[in-house]
Amino acid sequence: MTTATTRSLIAKDKQATGARLRRWIVGLWNLNLLLGVISIGTLGLLWEYAQPLGIPGVRNVPAPSEVVSASAKLLRSRLYWEGWMLSVQRITLGFLAAQIVGIPLGLMMAMHRNSFDTMFPIVEILRPIPPVAWIPVSIIFWPTRELSVVFIVFLGALWIVLLNTIGGASNVDQNYKRAALSLGSTQRDLFWRIILPATIPSIVTGMAVGMGIAWEMVIAAEMIAGRTGLGYLLWQSFEINALAQVIVCMVSIGIAGYISSGIIRQLGGFAAPWQRQH
Amino acid sequence: MSTDSSNGGTLSIRHAGKIYDPDGSNVVALDDVTFEIKAKEFCVIVGPSGCGKTTLLNAIAGFDQLTAGQILLDGELLTSPGKRLLPGADRMVVFQQGALFPWKTVLWNVTCGPIQQGRMSRREAERHATHLLARVGLTSIENQYPGELSGGMKRRVEIVRALMNDPKILLLDEPFRALDALTKSVVQEYLLELYDLTPKTVFFITHDIEEAAFLADRVVIMTTRPGRVMKIVNVDIERPRNHQVLTTPHFLRIENEVREAIHDEARKAFEAGERELA
Repeated sequence: MTTATTRSLIAKDKQATGARLRRWIVGLWNLNLLLGVISIGTLGLLWEYAQPLGIPGVRNVPAPSEVVSASAKLLRSRLYWEGWMLSVQRITLGFLAAQIVGIPLGLMMAMHRNSFDTMFPIVEILRPIPPVAWIPVSIIFWPTRELSVVFIVFLGALWIVLLNTIGGASNVDQNYKRAALSLGSTQRDLFWRIILPATIPSIVTGMAVGMGIAWEMVIAAEMIAGRTGLGYLLWQSFEINALAQVIVCMVSIGIAGYISSGIIRQLGGFAAPWQRQH
Repeated sequence: MSTDSSNGGTLSIRHAGKIYDPDGSNVVALDDVTFEIKAKEFCVIVGPSGCGKTTLLNAIAGFDQLTAGQILLDGELLTSPGKRLLPGADRMVVFQQGALFPWKTVLWNVTCGPIQQGRMSRREAERHATHLLARVGLTSIENQYPGELSGGMKRRVEIVRALMNDPKILLLDEPFRALDALTKSVVQEYLLELYDLTPKTVFFITHDIEEAAFLADRVVIMTTRPGRVMKIVNVDIERPRNHQVLTTPHFLRIENEVREAIHDEARKAFEAGERELA
């Protein structure tokens, strides 16, 4: 490609970014967003005034104003940010370990009949066991509590990544392989040229779902086995009856999960650029 | 530029037979099929569903092997019972559902063959590809992904990809089946334009009788179960051809000859299918 066309492509890209930004700003004022704001605002008002109005069942739920003041306090504490950091660290380690084990194992099982026949029965027996049920065994087995929590996160993300990788890699259209062979690829090239790229979208889907489960698991494990982290903080707040603080922790976990899916989406767009929406 | 470097491309099919025997049911897909395609001849195979057209194509391409007889390309054995020459760039296939790699750009798709085989430098391949793409009315789509193109555009890119490899024989398996009538007629003319530019031996499978007569030098009509050659019709219409040819009495006479031959066969195949269902 000539430098001139490269330059014009970059310019076009900049233009596209500008246009996207403009569309986004204009979009802020459209009806969808307005409706969203109204619905969240209404929910907040209902929540705030549910208690004084004497609606049954919400007597003990702290009002949003209490939550806001509790979060102001909590956001200044070291414990809270430490909790964030540790939970994120556990998620990262467990999730990465699940990818490192799940993706190669899934590819191998998809490509070699014998390894599939060997591994699949084990997978199918272990998979239905909820990762939370592993917590006691995990605590006994692993030398530290930290490792046992990471292990539970790992289990939470592993199965879905594994199954998605197997599914993706064994459903690669035969014609892609045939076309590659006709174009001069050898049988050995097929893995890197065809099977892996064709499987990436399924792997990314597995990661997105797996990340959600990983957050569920880290919170559950921290509640039961942890001495730190957002899940632990949430449970401790409940134990001391600081319900506003419980809600702050819940919202924090929601935000953490949202950011995590955003990162996976970005990663997916980077790994599979042909699947980006235009 | 390497136009028309490969001489030859004579395909001899001799007493070709193929029996599928998955569970002792002995389905005869091909039975004693013998005909020859001359170098640079455009040969179209028509026949009802299940007449073994695709079986024959798979045997030529090296995806499958015969159970009787042999197929030779310029005297070189492609397949005979127990033997097959692995798929290669000398026998390019354009698949019915299309097999452009969705994870690569158009330019990469069309240039990967000659670059992988070391026949062209990247620069040379890209120049040649841009030239050929322009010949079929595709400009400035080089950096797009196949998923962003329309069906008609994809088919043209795929034909260009095949021709970039300068094959001895081009194998097309109902390449225009999924296109609407208008797009189909445009793409057919582009195919003929490319064929006139660099004539190759073409093995083209279709259900569409008008398409067969419009494209072919010779139309081979096959019967179903067992798949046999029923009749070969010569199409002595001058090239270059365009769609005006379709309404000439001469063309209509040839088309009719093919239609008559195939009609009885199609009815037999249909009735056999009904009996099987009953």
